[in-house]
Amino acid sequence: MFPVLAFLVGLPVVAAIVIALIPKSRSELLLPVAFGLSLLPLAVAGYMVWTFNTAGGFQWVESTIWLQQLRIGWTVGVDGISLFLVALTAFLFPISILASANISDRLRGYLVSLFVLETGVLGVFIALDLVLFFVFFEIVLIPMFFMIGIWGSSNRRYAAIKFFVYTAFGSAFLLVSIIALAVNAGPALQTISFQWNELAQVPMTSTLQTWLFFGFAIAFAIKVPLFPLHTWLPDAHTEAPTAGSVLLAGVLLKMGTYGFIRFNLILFPEATVKYGKWIALLAVIGIVYAALVATVQPDIKRLVAYSSVSHLGFIVLGIFALTLTSVQGGIIQMVNHGLSTGALFLLIGMIYERTHTRKIADYGGLASTMPIFSGFFLFAVFASVGLPGLNGFIGEFMVLIGSWQTFPVLTVVAASGVVLAAVYLLWAYERVFTGPPGKANKDLEDLNPREIAILVPIAFLIVLLGVYPKPVLDRMENDVNAVISRIEQSTSYERPTFDLEGQLRISVPAEQGNNSSGESSEGSE
Amino acid sequence: MGNIAFLPIGLEVALLVGAIGVLMVAVTMGRSSRDWAVVAGAAIGVGFVISVRQWVVVGESGTQLAFGTKGADGLAVANQMVAMDKFGALGGMILMVVVGLALIGSWQMVKDLGSRGAEFVALILLSAAGMHMMIVSANLIMLFIGLETASIALYVIAGFLRNRRGSDESAMKYFLMGSFASALFIYGVALVFAATGSTSLYGSTSIGQFLAGNAMPNPGILLIGIGLILVGLAFKMSAAPFHQWAPDVYQGAGTGAVAFMSTGVKVAAVAAMVRVLYIGFFQFYDDWSMAVALIAALSILVGTATAIAQSDLKRMLAYSGVAHAGFLLIAVLAARVSLDAMWFYLATYAVSLVGMLTVVTVVAGASAGPVSIESFRGLGKRSPMLAAAIAVFMFSMAGIPGTSGFVAKLVVFTAADLSGFRWLVVLALVASVAGLFFYLRIIVVAFFEDSDTEETPLTLTGPRIAIGFAVAVTVGLGLWPTLLLDFAREALPHL
Repeated sequence: MFPVLAFLVGLPVVAAIVIALIPKSRSELLLPVAFGLSLLPLAVAGYMVWTFNTAGGFQWVESTIWLQQLRIGWTVGVDGISLFLVALTAFLFPISILASANISDRLRGYLVSLFVLETGVLGVFIALDLVLFFVFFEIVLIPMFFMIGIWGSSNRRYAAIKFFVYTAFGSAFLLVSIIALAVNAGPALQTISFQWNELAQVPMTSTLQTWLFFGFAIAFAIKVPLFPLHTWLPDAHTEAPTAGSVLLAGVLLKMGTYGFIRFNLILFPEATVKYGKWIALLAVIGIVYAALVATVQPDIKRLVAYSSVSHLGFIVLGIFALTLTSVQGGIIQMVNHGLSTGALFLLIGMIYERTHTRKIADYGGLASTMPIFSGFFLFAVFASVGLPGLNGFIGEFMVLIGSWQTFPVLTVVAASGVVLAAVYLLWAYERVFTGPPGKANKDLEDLNPREIAILVPIAFLIVLLGVYPKPVLDRMENDVNAVISRIEQSTSYERPTFDLEGQLRISVPAEQGNNSSGESSEGSE
Repeated sequence: MGNIAFLPIGLEVALLVGAIGVLMVAVTMGRSSRDWAVVAGAAIGVGFVISVRQWVVVGESGTQLAFGTKGADGLAVANQMVAMDKFGALGGMILMVVVGLALIGSWQMVKDLGSRGAEFVALILLSAAGMHMMIVSANLIMLFIGLETASIALYVIAGFLRNRRGSDESAMKYFLMGSFASALFIYGVALVFAATGSTSLYGSTSIGQFLAGNAMPNPGILLIGIGLILVGLAFKMSAAPFHQWAPDVYQGAGTGAVAFMSTGVKVAAVAAMVRVLYIGFFQFYDDWSMAVALIAALSILVGTATAIAQSDLKRMLAYSGVAHAGFLLIAVLAARVSLDAMWFYLATYAVSLVGMLTVVTVVAGASAGPVSIESFRGLGKRSPMLAAAIAVFMFSMAGIPGTSGFVAKLVVFTAADLSGFRWLVVLALVASVAGLFFYLRIIVVAFFEDSDTEETPLTLTGPRIAIGFAVAVTVGLGLWPTLLLDFAREALPHL
């Protein structure tokens, strides 16, 4: 069988090498070639989405042992949970390259960093070996560190180091936990192994499970980021170049939420049920707190950065609510957030190129000078706020519906985040776009064709996912179901379900295993 | 039979002949450093080939001991002094690679020294011979001789730039404290002899045999002896709290000399420690493992915490070396389940460090004493390849995936966790995050800041090869660690 995933991850590596080999005299070729090469992983990802078997399970699995005595190897596969994250990653990179036309300093290194980043992120989403996952999880830091540090704005050094050290701190706990997990499983497996599927079968004491659950959770919580570990994010997002912010928000943060599902939920079901509510609580605090902080930001990019923290809270809430609807909502919201926040960062990047300021107070009246720009901006704001008919609505609505059954109080509080999002984003829109244009903003040029070409595909997907999310939900449904069923089998947890009269009740044993088609149809509406 | 008997000490003989050869060439044929390079290079090359030959011979006919005294019956050979095993052979190969790289890196300094350069080269070869003797010694007395041969040469190397005051001072400091550590070491050997009646690691009259045959209800004297031996070796590898000499010596000595000093002696001391502790005193594993674990923890904490505050690159590397001594001591503990992890850490750290110091010689000059981190400012623009090499070495020392440093930490920590030292693993990993502060700072200065000068450091062919080799090893073993791990798994000491 053709190794599709090795090919997928290998393409950006090859692209990085090709870019590095383009002679200095032909540096005008760098951007077009990079853009062309970045379309290849997108084509592969498109093929994967198209041919994905909706029955679920891991597909395109490859397994080769790399280090025999520790059973570390290239074990990869894609299931319904990771499929759309892979697709989102492959989609956002060509966009990011198009959005980098203004980079003039050391363009070659910049593009190489981008492709290394793409390798790392794709690797994270497909790895089924814990060490392999960790390697990709960490490798991502290096290109991002350079992107913020070299091509960022004024306070870039501080932001780059803070970003790197903060996330590496979480990774240290992740590595300890991975090692402890493998050592614990050693006697049962007769060998040290870092294979995810082998480790998932070995039982462990609940004390160890608790420790390891939090070891993994710290690393992912920093990455997401979860309140109160979010302080690196506003700095990193604000200082990074446009493409860096788009990718940070679009895919890097999703590595954390994805990690929660793939590792915490599956490896430590008991601890998940026991402590999931505390993580959900942090997520909800984050939703409200970040929304409030976003409201008072004078810097538009920082505002969007805080809105990311708030939106990611919904995803984490959905994941730990452990119902089919909420987890599905969480996953689709990962994609949605990548699109809508990505679009916002792109738009802010475009206006920053013209005005070189990010202060909301310096703007005003852009709607009259830049009508196309303000149209797109309003559209992205609506997507981010969760206007019905656009993608954000689907994700947040599913999360709230699904979580209501497990965490009613938390969900009510979280729902206020939707309102607050409307407050801070629309208020920002009002200050930036309405009123009479100031002197500095009178002669701004509206978007050029290249910039419109960047935004149109995102807008298209925002509408598509908002109107017709069924293909996406269908592809992830069975795998999400399997995750929750697994938790039900190994703990006393049982997912709450609606009975026929529509009243909420806690279901009794009748429903064991994977059979839950009745509930899933409700999720996809 | 004749050549077989000399094979176990072939490497030492080659280096000795090389050292004398360099001096003779300098006296008779003039001061062309090119001639010395040929002789020294030949000696190191022959040394490497002999190590390979030892590996092959051991593989065919087993480990063997050599150079003993005749026993009581006048025939049987007792108290063998040197062990020939794959442990010593691999140690020899690593040492030869490191010495070769370090000499290439310091060659500019040798040229600057003029006619005295030959002495410098000869001293390095002599010191390397002593280091290898430490690895292969089968007797604590022999180990002491190796230790002193290596150290005395190092004292002179540290103070070789005698016209600079810092160099003198640091060499004096090194000499006084080093002699003190050597005295403690030999006192420890004496106490062990008092307790067990032996200084031999192997054979029927060895320490291990005595301990196996005699229960020791009150092992106080023996434990003090083991402790003092540990102190002596910990001093050489600059583990805390025996590390105070390292920053001053690194800063005072010429950069070219530091490359050899900092790596070679660590390789020798760690390997010797593994052989002595596991072969000699395995019955007391529970006692000495706790001591080693405490020294490791202290080294990691002290090294990391003080390295953050340094503004001088060589002092920073010295303190990071203290932290790495701690990691290496964890590897010593982990050698119980996986000796290959220890070898892997040792070899990859040594190569990365030599590579890094070679870059320093290129950027700041081979004879320079203090080297401010500021001298790397803007290197990413002035000389992208050198800056990229720095990034590779720093990421490797910090343990970032994609480099050999990550694999080294992974295998060592997994083995340490298996041996029951999880607290040490947690501490080490958290400390390595703190370590990012100073490793990243070098990268930040080199890549993120612009310099006032447009001056491009001149990289000669020699350093270019050494740096390229070190980068290739660091990245290559990061991606294909089995190349070394499979090999190192066989490198067990004679039992």
